Amino acid sequence: MRGSISTRLIVLITLCTAVIVGGGMLLDYRVSRAEILERLDLESNERVKAVVVDIENWLSGVEAATGFLGQILSQREYSEEGLKQMLRDLVQGNEEIYGAAIALSPNQAESGEGFAPYFFHSDTGIAYANLASREADYQQQPWFRAPIETAKPVWSEPYFDNGGGEALMTTYSVPVYRIDEEGQRFLYAVVTADVLVEDLHRVLQQLHLGEHSNGLLLSTEGMLLSSRQAPEALRHYSEIAIAPENLKPWRDLLDHVRGGQAISREVECPEIEGQCTLRMGTLQSNGWPIGIVYSQNEVLEPLYNYQIKTVIISVCTILGMALVVSLVTHSITRPLSYLSAASANIARGNMDSPLPPAKGNDEIATLVRSFESMSKDLKTYIADLESVTASRSRLEGELAAAREIQMSMLPGAGEARLQQPPVDLWARVEPAKTVGGDLYTYSLNDNHLLLAVGDVSDKGVPAALFMARAISLIQQLSSLSVAPNEAMTWLNNSLERDNPSCMFVTLFLGVLNTTTGELRFATAGHTAPSLLRNNEVTVIDQDTGPALGLIPDQDYPDNLLTLCPADRLAIYTDGIDEAFNSAGEMFGVERFNKQLQNTGALDLAAAGAALFQAVASHAQEQPQSDDITLLLLEPSAGKHGSQRQSFDLAPGLTRRVQSWLEPVLNNWSVPDDAVMEMLLIAEELVTNVQKYGELQAKHEIAVTLRLDGQTLALQVRDPGVAFNPLAQAERADLGADIESAEIGGLGVHLITGLSNRQHYAREGEYNVLTIEKDLPVWT
Amino acid sequence: MDLTTTVSIDEENSVARVSLDGALNTDTAPAFELRLQEVVDAGYQLTVLDMKELDYISSAGLRVIFKAAKQTRSDGRNLAAANRKPHIDKVFEILKALPDMAVFANEQELDDYLDAMQSKSRDE
Repeated sequence: MRGSISTRLIVLITLCTAVIVGGGMLLDYRVSRAEILERLDLESNERVKAVVVDIENWLSGVEAATGFLGQILSQREYSEEGLKQMLRDLVQGNEEIYGAAIALSPNQAESGEGFAPYFFHSDTGIAYANLASREADYQQQPWFRAPIETAKPVWSEPYFDNGGGEALMTTYSVPVYRIDEEGQRFLYAVVTADVLVEDLHRVLQQLHLGEHSNGLLLSTEGMLLSSRQAPEALRHYSEIAIAPENLKPWRDLLDHVRGGQAISREVECPEIEGQCTLRMGTLQSNGWPIGIVYSQNEVLEPLYNYQIKTVIISVCTILGMALVVSLVTHSITRPLSYLSAASANIARGNMDSPLPPAKGNDEIATLVRSFESMSKDLKTYIADLESVTASRSRLEGELAAAREIQMSMLPGAGEARLQQPPVDLWARVEPAKTVGGDLYTYSLNDNHLLLAVGDVSDKGVPAALFMARAISLIQQLSSLSVAPNEAMTWLNNSLERDNPSCMFVTLFLGVLNTTTGELRFATAGHTAPSLLRNNEVTVIDQDTGPALGLIPDQDYPDNLLTLCPADRLAIYTDGIDEAFNSAGEMFGVERFNKQLQNTGALDLAAAGAALFQAVASHAQEQPQSDDITLLLLEPSAGKHGSQRQSFDLAPGLTRRVQSWLEPVLNNWSVPDDAVMEMLLIAEELVTNVQKYGELQAKHEIAVTLRLDGQTLALQVRDPGVAFNPLAQAERADLGADIESAEIGGLGVHLITGLSNRQHYAREGEYNVLTIEKDLPVWT
Repeated sequence: MDLTTTVSIDEENSVARVSLDGALNTDTAPAFELRLQEVVDAGYQLTVLDMKELDYISSAGLRVIFKAAKQTRSDGRNLAAANRKPHIDKVFEILKALPDMAVFANEQELDDYLDAMQSKSRDE
């Protein structure tokens, strides 16, 4: 489990252990490494030194023995046999010396060929060879000539001795001088001792540091003897794997060494990959450079082994530690895991989920006991809560049903829109609690619209029940044609009866005559409505009576308000102006009026919604304190329409024109009076055409009827002779005495008397006469 | 719309009652003119046009009435209109028609007028 305590413990402790153990190991390693390195260094130095000392001892032994022989020969006279004997003894007595010779200077020998006996170790013991033979020709050998030339003892370059030892060797030659009677020094002999290259090689092989190390010995001339090659493979160093460009550095290096400086240098390993160390010094006896090439890595191999062992031990230690920590943490946290699983079960509602046993007195046991007691308490609490919730949801269900029933008592069930020309009405109620005490209703009968907006005291269920009583009574009114103030008295008495709890309702009750725009209304203590007219809002000045339901037999004043076509009336309950915000400020009538003005251009429903929204934004998170009801009323915008028909002038024209016009006008809801007058005007118009147009039955006239808002326009277009009846028609003098009055000439009077505007035009071959008639504003 | 004309005569009082039912317009006026002419020619002292059922009147109709009124007046007799509906009344008003014509708003006025006429004739 990621993130669990045991995982975190294991990871943390393992990491810490790794750091601590690793640190310790590292420290130990550093110290040990230094020690091991020092020891290795010392050891290698010791070994090199030992080999060099061995060689030095050997060669100086050879030198000393040879020098001693030379010393004896320079002072004493021996016979040739005696010399031989002495030489034989020398070779026999010195294992380090392979062979030795005493080569007399030719003028000192008894025979002309010279004298040069040579004894050496052979497989069969000490062997003798005479170097004074013609084939050996010792006087021409470098070992003989070199010390004479330099008058000093010299080590020869390695060479193969033919006719003598028959082996690869180097020879130490010492010139022996004597003083004659005249005190002159002269060369008596050259005493030599040979050392086998093979023996040198054997010793050199002890120079060994690591598997691929290589002991080197160079002669004065640069012949190279390597411990890893056979002694016979003796060659000049420049011939052995040395590129021409490296020759110069090598020469410089050898010069340095010969100058007596020990050097140490990094070179490429001759046989394996990587860098090797070359250390080189000189032999004191013959000045030959001696050295060793070895790989540091091979020398340090024990150290690497040690490193690997250290790492393995560290890793094992840490793994062991992690295992132990894991076991320990699991044993500690196991009860916690059980507890966690049990709490998840409980959270899912399984309250009887078993808890781990609480053993001992540690923190976990205490936690388990607390948890057990909490789980028990929780079970009781949940049981309580369930029963409370059940009864509450039952109550809520009942309230919701009650609200539905209450809303169904209102037209539109809480939000209503009546768009029935000439009336446009919108209303909405929003209860503060699920059910409330606000009400609105309306009903339209012919040209009378009954309106009511009311507010029952208090809110909630009691208010809702009283509201139900009130609205049933009000809705009975719609079938009666009583004046609102009288209706109010009746309502008051009806509600006052059987009202022991003294509930009361404020009510606005009005009847709008949709023909005249007259609104007669009575108020029972209700908020005065606001009127939006010419983009200004005023509060209606009203005479009010007492609220309904308290005192019987009250009189209510009659109020009258005439609404104009562009007016908008807002009737509302005090839930709007008395909506409080969190700062305790009321929404107020002024703010409401301002909003009513701002929303004047909107459609009624949009304006109403915006007003509700304004109240809600004012209250913000403050809960709605009272039911809110708003009813907006305005004359619907005038209708528009146009109809056109052609008629021939056959008999019955008037009847045909009228029977076309009448249904059109009725369809446009034109009032009956206006219909009658329009029919009359039409008759007079077509009669004029018939009378003055000089037309025949086949000719046609076109009649157009237009409704544009509140204005009806009737146009007659005829192809008759140019004739303007408005100016030219015979017109009777009105009001004349009957004796003097002319009979006829009345039609034009009727046309002008029944319409508002008349217009004549001659358009080409046509007379066009247009009559406009304004309809009552609330039509 | 058609026009139905009913004429009832009160010989005793020399009163002719002409009841109009329907529309008196260009189409119906000629027939009505003939009918009324007959009544007027009969020479009753008073001709009463009962407009209780008259729904519509145009200038053509008025011209007929106008003409009858003129004729009766010149003969020293009377033509009266009774029970005019408001919109019929309005047409009369616009035309200021028959200003001195007796007008009875209802039956009662007509009866009162007739009584007055009877007593007047008795007095003579």
